[in-house]
Amino acid sequence: MPNKNEKKVTKRDLWRVLLRYMFTFQWSWNYERMQALGFAWAIMPILEKVNETKEDLKLALQRHLNFFNTHPPMGAGIIGAAAALEEQGAEGEAVDSLKVGLMGPLAGIGDTLFAILTRPIIGVFAASLALGGSMGGFWLMILFGLFWGIGVKIYLFWQGYQRGADIVQDTAAGGTMDKLTTSATILGLTVIGGFVPSILSGVTTPLEYTETVEVEGELTEQVVAVQDVLDQLLPYLIPVLLVALAYWLLRGPLKWSPIKVLLALVVIAFGGSLIGIL
Amino acid sequence: MEEVVSPYGIGTALVLGLWAYIAIVSMLAPNISFHEPIVAGAVTGIIVGNIPLGLAVGGTLMIISLGMHTYGGATIPDFLTGAILGTAFGALAYDGNVESAMATGLTIAVPAALLMTQLDVFGRAITTVFIHGADKYVEDENFRGVTLMHILGQLPWGLTRAIPVFLAIWLGAGPVQRFMEWIPEWFQEAISTTGAVLPALGFALLLSMLPVKKYWPFLIIGFILFAYLEVPVIGLAIAGAALAALYFHMKEGEASA
Repeated sequence: MPNKNEKKVTKRDLWRVLLRYMFTFQWSWNYERMQALGFAWAIMPILEKVNETKEDLKLALQRHLNFFNTHPPMGAGIIGAAAALEEQGAEGEAVDSLKVGLMGPLAGIGDTLFAILTRPIIGVFAASLALGGSMGGFWLMILFGLFWGIGVKIYLFWQGYQRGADIVQDTAAGGTMDKLTTSATILGLTVIGGFVPSILSGVTTPLEYTETVEVEGELTEQVVAVQDVLDQLLPYLIPVLLVALAYWLLRGPLKWSPIKVLLALVVIAFGGSLIGIL
Repeated sequence: MEEVVSPYGIGTALVLGLWAYIAIVSMLAPNISFHEPIVAGAVTGIIVGNIPLGLAVGGTLMIISLGMHTYGGATIPDFLTGAILGTAFGALAYDGNVESAMATGLTIAVPAALLMTQLDVFGRAITTVFIHGADKYVEDENFRGVTLMHILGQLPWGLTRAIPVFLAIWLGAGPVQRFMEWIPEWFQEAISTTGAVLPALGFALLLSMLPVKKYWPFLIIGFILFAYLEVPVIGLAIAGAALAALYFHMKEGEASA
């Protein structure tokens, strides 16, 4: 492929793309095309260099204003690769299919690594420090943010730029990415399995009932806590049932939106507390 | 009834509104945790002069929000605004005891976080105006206009947090303080139960993103490790890593056998 434009794009242009992406990417996030405008604006410095006429620049920007949505730190790899392709003068369609092809898989990997694996684990540590009155919880969250928001973006941008389209093949072929996701899934599920009872341990029932039992031949009244009975059945039964209910509402035949499930849980919790069963 | 003078002036209200603006926009980019409840609460604690309370309110909201992540842009409770308002109002009830001030703060924080979902949806919808503006500017070959549209896109996001925080602190502090002094026990209890139940949504969301049908045994193992053996977080993570390694080991062993 002729590299007719290669000399024109400088390291400085690439840094401008990276900085725009890093610091402003989702500022114009909206329901209609989500991150599209952020992507188009971030890659503009390259487009301005490689498109000689205003008409070409217009067409290039219109391409990049199509729907786009991915996990922002992971997406740095996509914009790095897209910048490389634009610089090499690749066909617009090639750049589009790179973006569309990568945004889904990388969002999945990013959400797994960020929201399922690292944020809950770091979050629990930070929260326990914070609840103990230590600013360590604050600093831990900031470090966590700098890692994902700055570190991962810088690394993946240059990886994406250097490997360009190769990154597509790697992802499509699975291999390491697949292994990483599966490992994260197993680790994540194990941790969530433990988090459900530990984080929700406060959800218990104060219900009691009185039963008449025979102690040494005499009948006596005894107060039995329902929670103790439940604990013998399965410890943390109520938390398990609540999560199962919420999961079923989200994924079962009803397919409720998270907000609707949230409202249902609020009604159950608030109402349950009022009538004395939670 | 005597007139209660707002304990927070317009200055504090402006600073907290500005902090809410910065924190939500930084959630969009550069994503450096300013919007996380612990950070939002701690900074609010610095502003209102009660850092331990800010950390406690933020830490509690962090636990509630575990697993709640805006997958694909879905709206989730706004614990950022909750942390700011909960800390600021909790500080008004502070009498030397962080625990009780936190409980009072949460009776404001949790409902605020839930109500703010309405404004989140509104903000996400209204930002659509700017991408249509950008389309128009590109069509007219006015490329500076594209920059302008992208930068202005933050306004609906920032203002949907800054304005409610500003108004609540500036106008609301007096009435809210009166309300908090009057909050009945059952209400505080119901809110605290709600806070305890909400993480269930986070976990359900997490699970709905994962291939649970294929890997459910790991979920059960994790549950047993805590429910019966009380293994702490680090132990769970190490066990999970070992299980992942074991999984691949056995899978590859099978393939080569």
